[in-house]
Amino acid sequence: MTPLDFEAAYAPLWSELEAVIAVAETRRKFDAARLATLYRRVCEHLALAQARAYPIHLTQRLETLTQSAHRLIYRRHDYGLARLGRLALVDFPEAVRAHRAYLLVAALMFFVPLLAAGWAAYRDPGFILHLLDAKDVQQFDAMYGSRAESLGRTRNASDDWQMFGYYVMHNIGIGFRCFAAGIFAGVGSAVVVVFNGTQIGAVGGYLIAAGHAENFLSFVVTHSAFELTAIVLAGAAGLRLGYSWIAPGRHTRLEALRLAARHAVVIVYGVIGLLLVAAAVEAFWSSARWVAPAVKYGVGGACWLLVLAYLGWQGRPRAAAADAKKAGDAG
Amino acid sequence: MRLDTLYTAETPEGIALSLRPAGLVARGLAYLIDLAIRLGIFFAISIVVGVMGKMGVGILLISYFCLEWLYPVVFELTRAAATPGKRVMGLRVVMDSGLPVTPAAALTRNLLRAADFVPAFYGAGIVSMLWRRDSKRLGDLAAGTLVVFSDPVSLHGDVPAAEPRAPVRPLSAREQLAVVSWAGRATRLTPERFDELARVAEPVLEPDTSGASVSQRLLGVAQWVLGRRAGADARGGGR
Repeated sequence: MTPLDFEAAYAPLWSELEAVIAVAETRRKFDAARLATLYRRVCEHLALAQARAYPIHLTQRLETLTQSAHRLIYRRHDYGLARLGRLALVDFPEAVRAHRAYLLVAALMFFVPLLAAGWAAYRDPGFILHLLDAKDVQQFDAMYGSRAESLGRTRNASDDWQMFGYYVMHNIGIGFRCFAAGIFAGVGSAVVVVFNGTQIGAVGGYLIAAGHAENFLSFVVTHSAFELTAIVLAGAAGLRLGYSWIAPGRHTRLEALRLAARHAVVIVYGVIGLLLVAAAVEAFWSSARWVAPAVKYGVGGACWLLVLAYLGWQGRPRAAAADAKKAGDAG
Repeated sequence: MRLDTLYTAETPEGIALSLRPAGLVARGLAYLIDLAIRLGIFFAISIVVGVMGKMGVGILLISYFCLEWLYPVVFELTRAAATPGKRVMGLRVVMDSGLPVTPAAALTRNLLRAADFVPAFYGAGIVSMLWRRDSKRLGDLAAGTLVVFSDPVSLHGDVPAAEPRAPVRPLSAREQLAVVSWAGRATRLTPERFDELARVAEPVLEPDTSGASVSQRLLGVAQWVLGRRAGADARGGGR
């Protein structure tokens, strides 16, 4: 068969596929079965044309056709709320538990410097000047001091919105960077986690030593349940990335990195959610001055329990199977 | 050594998709266009919310966050699989299997911008893109994605008309491909270069009797290889 015969015999099919693709790319409803059939036929034609060294303009036309059809046939359809729900109820807590070794390391990297710096700052209020400028320290003093004009005591609604915006931008940004920096052999994530632990610990220790314990602790207790866990989780996801190419196992380094990223990014989804909750709580609840500290401690404790229980027990396999069954019945 | 950067991805149907990874310049320009768009949106929002006081500042900060982190993710998950800047440059993001990009991959590659950015202004990303044949930055490596040119280039056109002529000896498959490829480039090459290349194939041509140029005679051979025969527009004569 000569190239001309080939083209004459099959060009009608190719034109038809072109037409089907044009419809499918612009409209929602199209003949998917016909698209698949034509796609398979044209794949055959392309393979033949390549094997028989047919002219390049011919193979190129077939390549373009198959590429567009391939893109249409394999595009995803399962976006939407059901998927988001499954992510929150099953996939995220599961992914967290699957990374418990990384989580342990990240938690140690966070809480050991936090406690150490806190202890040091508590014993010696001058210690904090190793970490922060005197100006920043004065600002913290003013924020958590007992005077009426202190920030966190007398904010109105629009202040709350401003702070919410700030927390979203700043804290989620830190979470993302903490994850991304993990690609450098995990060192970046470790640095971010240790740095944040040290700073938070030092500020806490300093404020408690300065006599602002109640103001400070009642302010942070609720949102820290979401925020500190999120930082540790982002660190764990970053460490997973870094470890994958230090110790790729039975994969190439690149393949290992890709696999690790695919699993770790599920944790990052959850980190985004946790940090959004943390930002809302920090802006609208932690700073509310009409709430008695005792109530805040109670709510904060409950939030800590809730978060840890969620990460520890939500979406265990049995529950997942039941959920899947329910989703199957509903759908 | 291969000179082109063509990337082939095999599909389940057993065919190879050829993808053309976009290099540093195209992607850099796309980034700058996106940067301009993002700055424009940011200023527009800042003017609108400027009258809203501190609540406006909050909205502005949230929109800054969305523009910095979510803008590329959202656009890469649309059907065009490209941010506006990439679309202007004719680029799209695909998985390195040739499939459309998944949400997880789009998020991963854009979060890892933070890693590509170090030490300053995408230093790590630029080194990685220049280093690799497929121009992947660190985010692409981790997410398994590729930025490719979306439209195919056509370097070859139809073979110009000519009186079909048989070659003096049977041509191998490679030789046939070479002759037809040469003929397909008739409109892109200068006539001198076209003739010069034709003279390489002179040994397979019949001795000239009609006074036609070498190119004209080789075009005839190309038509003959395609299956056209002298006389009527007879097809299917076999070879």
